[in-house]
Amino acid sequence: MLKRAVIALAAALSAPWSLQAQEADTLAAASVWSVQVYPVVKPAESVYLPGAKAAPAQVADVLRRFTGVQVKDYGGVGGLKTVNVRSLGSEHVGIFLDGVQVDNAQNMQVDLGRFSTDGLAMVSLYNGQKTKRLQTAKEYASGAAVHLDSERPLLFDQDGGRARLRGGSFGTFQPSLQWDRQWGPVILRVSAEGLTSNGRYKYPCFDTTLVRENGDIKSLRLESGLFGQFRHGDWRVRVYGYGSERGFPGPVIRRASGFPFSAERQADRNFFIQGGWNQDWTSRYATSLKFKFADDYIHYNTHPEKNPMALPYDLHYRQRSGYLSLAQSLVLADPWSVDLSVDLQRNALDSDAGQSVTPRRNVLTAALATRLAWEDFRMAAHCVYQGAWDRFLTPQAGGWTRENKFRDAWMPSFSLYYSPFRWLEVDAFAKRSYRLPSFNDLYYSLMGNSSLVPESAFQTGIDIRLEHASGPWSFEGRISPYRNRIDDKIVAIPTSSQFRWTMLNIGKVDVAGVDLKADARFWRKGWSVDVTFRYCFQQALDHSDPDSRTFGNQIPYIPLHSGGVDLCAGWEDWSFTWETVFTGARWSRTANTPDYYIAPWTVSDISLFRKMTMPALKNRALLPELNAGVTVRNLFNHRYQVVQGYPMPGCNLMFTVEYSW
Amino acid sequence: MKKATLLLLCGALAFCACRKDPVPEPPSKDADLTGQKVDVSGFPESARKLFVLNEGGMGANNATLDFLRFSDGNYVTGAFKKMNPGMGAGLGDVGNDVAVQGDDLWIVVNNSGLVEVVSAKDETEIAAIAVPTPRNVAFDDQYAYVTSWAGAYATGSYDENGYYTITDSKNPKGQVYRIDLKTKKVAGSVEVGYQPEGIACHAGRLYVANSGGISSQLPPDYAYDNTLSIIDTKSFKVTETLPVQVNLKNVYADGQGNIYVTTLGNFWDVHSGLYLIRPGQGNAVSKVADYVSVSTLLGDTVYCIGTETEFDWSATSHVYQSWSVQGGNKKNWTLNVSAKVLYGLYALDSETFFVSDAGNYFDPGTVSCYYKGARRWSVDAGVCPGHFALY
Repeated sequence: MLKRAVIALAAALSAPWSLQAQEADTLAAASVWSVQVYPVVKPAESVYLPGAKAAPAQVADVLRRFTGVQVKDYGGVGGLKTVNVRSLGSEHVGIFLDGVQVDNAQNMQVDLGRFSTDGLAMVSLYNGQKTKRLQTAKEYASGAAVHLDSERPLLFDQDGGRARLRGGSFGTFQPSLQWDRQWGPVILRVSAEGLTSNGRYKYPCFDTTLVRENGDIKSLRLESGLFGQFRHGDWRVRVYGYGSERGFPGPVIRRASGFPFSAERQADRNFFIQGGWNQDWTSRYATSLKFKFADDYIHYNTHPEKNPMALPYDLHYRQRSGYLSLAQSLVLADPWSVDLSVDLQRNALDSDAGQSVTPRRNVLTAALATRLAWEDFRMAAHCVYQGAWDRFLTPQAGGWTRENKFRDAWMPSFSLYYSPFRWLEVDAFAKRSYRLPSFNDLYYSLMGNSSLVPESAFQTGIDIRLEHASGPWSFEGRISPYRNRIDDKIVAIPTSSQFRWTMLNIGKVDVAGVDLKADARFWRKGWSVDVTFRYCFQQALDHSDPDSRTFGNQIPYIPLHSGGVDLCAGWEDWSFTWETVFTGARWSRTANTPDYYIAPWTVSDISLFRKMTMPALKNRALLPELNAGVTVRNLFNHRYQVVQGYPMPGCNLMFTVEYSW
Repeated sequence: MKKATLLLLCGALAFCACRKDPVPEPPSKDADLTGQKVDVSGFPESARKLFVLNEGGMGANNATLDFLRFSDGNYVTGAFKKMNPGMGAGLGDVGNDVAVQGDDLWIVVNNSGLVEVVSAKDETEIAAIAVPTPRNVAFDDQYAYVTSWAGAYATGSYDENGYYTITDSKNPKGQVYRIDLKTKKVAGSVEVGYQPEGIACHAGRLYVANSGGISSQLPPDYAYDNTLSIIDTKSFKVTETLPVQVNLKNVYADGQGNIYVTTLGNFWDVHSGLYLIRPGQGNAVSKVADYVSVSTLLGDTVYCIGTETEFDWSATSHVYQSWSVQGGNKKNWTLNVSAKVLYGLYALDSETFFVSDAGNYFDPGTVSCYYKGARRWSVDAGVCPGHFALY
């Protein structure tokens, strides 16, 4: 009860968007070892969502405000949204849900537009190495990582729930319902969320204005989680089902009148069950077991009968994966611990795209980590080994033969933390990571090259954090210079025959940048104001081919300058948020010439929310709450494109009404 | 002897054609456009410009038209947009073919579903004709003939405003659309094989190369087409469907009664190559040679450059071999090109060749001029320069 009250208080104190990650590992908080308590590196950015009164509906919108993150957004409610972190491609950015990677062996890209913030407690970004105890091996292996941690229900009564309705522009209607129930140490959460949107919005199309067509979406998510706790451990199981049907509006190009841009549709069905069991066996030794089984199905159809310009594809993909991870942590002496994590994964893809290559992949990932952690000085070293065994069919004269291919890589990393004064913290890291070639790179789209090696990223970075608090004021600043080098970048190029493309490990990119963030907060009874400035400079130069005339140019879609300003203000039950995101000039090609210039854009969103206490319900300790608000996105109706050919919506509105009991 | 007479006659005709025009032409509207200056000394005076069509990237709407002006050696890029400033969308998405017909320049803009007709004199728009997924164009005196992939996936018809309506959605075969040269309107279509590509017109017959490039990726057969459709232009009907080899690409009529077809092969056990069809001998098919990456027709000679290592997907540089064909016989011809991705070839005369390099397909490529086997110059073009037409 006390713990709950503390967390509730913490949530209440935090201004929207700004609660720091709870630094201590909550599970280990009961034990005395400092090495179990302190992580070596803090997340670069993190948001505690239940504390945010105007949390966006999609994880992609949360990430848009993180320094150093570029969200590649194809526009619209159902449009693909992927993230690049510090110019590392989205394939290098691991997305972890409760420590288990959400992966896609087919194209290594995870559509963040599909992740609702519903039921999430925390979204955090790690540029270097996340260094807590009991991580899965895959958490050590990805270049940069976005962690989505689900909320553990907090119940003051035997059960509780929340009903929410979001709706607004583009005919968007998004109801959700969540219900929690506790039986002793076990809590059940059941939730459901639906979404429909017609995806129609006006956009400038060359010399005229058109309405975006075929961007509608319908989706339904059903989810259930069980959380259990015992004296020295906890466990959780989550069952997840998602189905959607959507249209892809296609790039805006010159098109003969009478021919639509696109009639492409995609239906998805995703199912997974995942769980974990953490146990402290002694005060020195703990284990964490995690598992996942996923079954994903996609049906993609270009509908040539509706669009005479469409190439006639009607393709089905089914991906299945199984995953098991065991992490062990042993404290050798007070500040010193050793962790060993081993993950096993199997991916299978069946498809009628191309010929039946039917790739199967078994991946072993093992990580040995050692950490030293005092309160003001901490260090960690990790070494990850990843081996991947692929089996696939290749066409040979006279039939198909089964082939095997093995790839492996060592990925070391080193992290340091030093806090010489209470107001100053310094993190530093160096890390080499690899990403495996995806099934698409290797075997599909008439351009596979099964001899690809993993793409490597070498990252170094320093985080300098300043903190100061006095009276009602508190300040935080972060300066993070970094350098990244990407080698053996997998690039699609045509072969001697221009009609057959291939994938080659020929790209090299050198990235140098700095992230700056300053945050000032003022808090006095009933009042809170929080202002955050963010600026990001990144120079990402193509160093693939010294003979090329684009050698040394900025790579496509990476702005040299980007940043933003957020203002959050709260007054009693009211909260107001202003957010401005700025992206500087970019080029759509490595040729940095005026023909391929993409103009800078600045987009501002505002929101206003009010929380109200409602009349008490029978036999309830807590009063139910009603939270209602409105969000205006792209307030100044700025016309812009994140990805060339995919116009973003102009000014749009979203209403939220939420009742929790 | 007969051939020599014919050549002489052609020469005389050309000479007459030039002499017939004693008053100097008024300066063209595009005379102010300038670009990179290159050496054009020794280029034929009978021609004014060499057009270069840059395909652009699919979905990027960046097909562009360049030209080299022979009078002053200016290589002008993006000429369509410069001469049609009111058209914000530019030329469109994926230029696939370009050809001169009289004083008109026909540009096939594949993914825009348009056949764009501009003045060859000054690149200003004359007409834009909607054709679903158009690929290549050929002409006779009355019509332009455009091959189309997807028109048949959803066969439709045009109303009097040129608006296209789907009538049949299940037929995966391609079409050849016929466009009246005078009215610039579609005047019927005829079904051919799967994903037709190149087309040539000779002696009242159209020869259409069916590739099956999309069928090869689709269930149930995953098979390329291997046929040449022969169409009688009078009845506008397919008279014969002739098996040649898998994945047909370009068709050339050499004016001597021979038809040449290039094939792309299947990328793993059938090489690309050049085939000869003799309409005078009951359409007998014979193979001339393997390995064709790019090819072009000059007079009665087809010039080809091929890559021996075409099945080596991981090769980062290629060894090219060049050769030519005249009268059905393979001849020695050498052009030592250095290109990252050889994308287009054009012969101005038997000693002057233009070679385009698509580079990485993503950034702008280059066009190079080779004279007597040596590279004379290179200029920056647009993305994927690949098609040439002389005016």
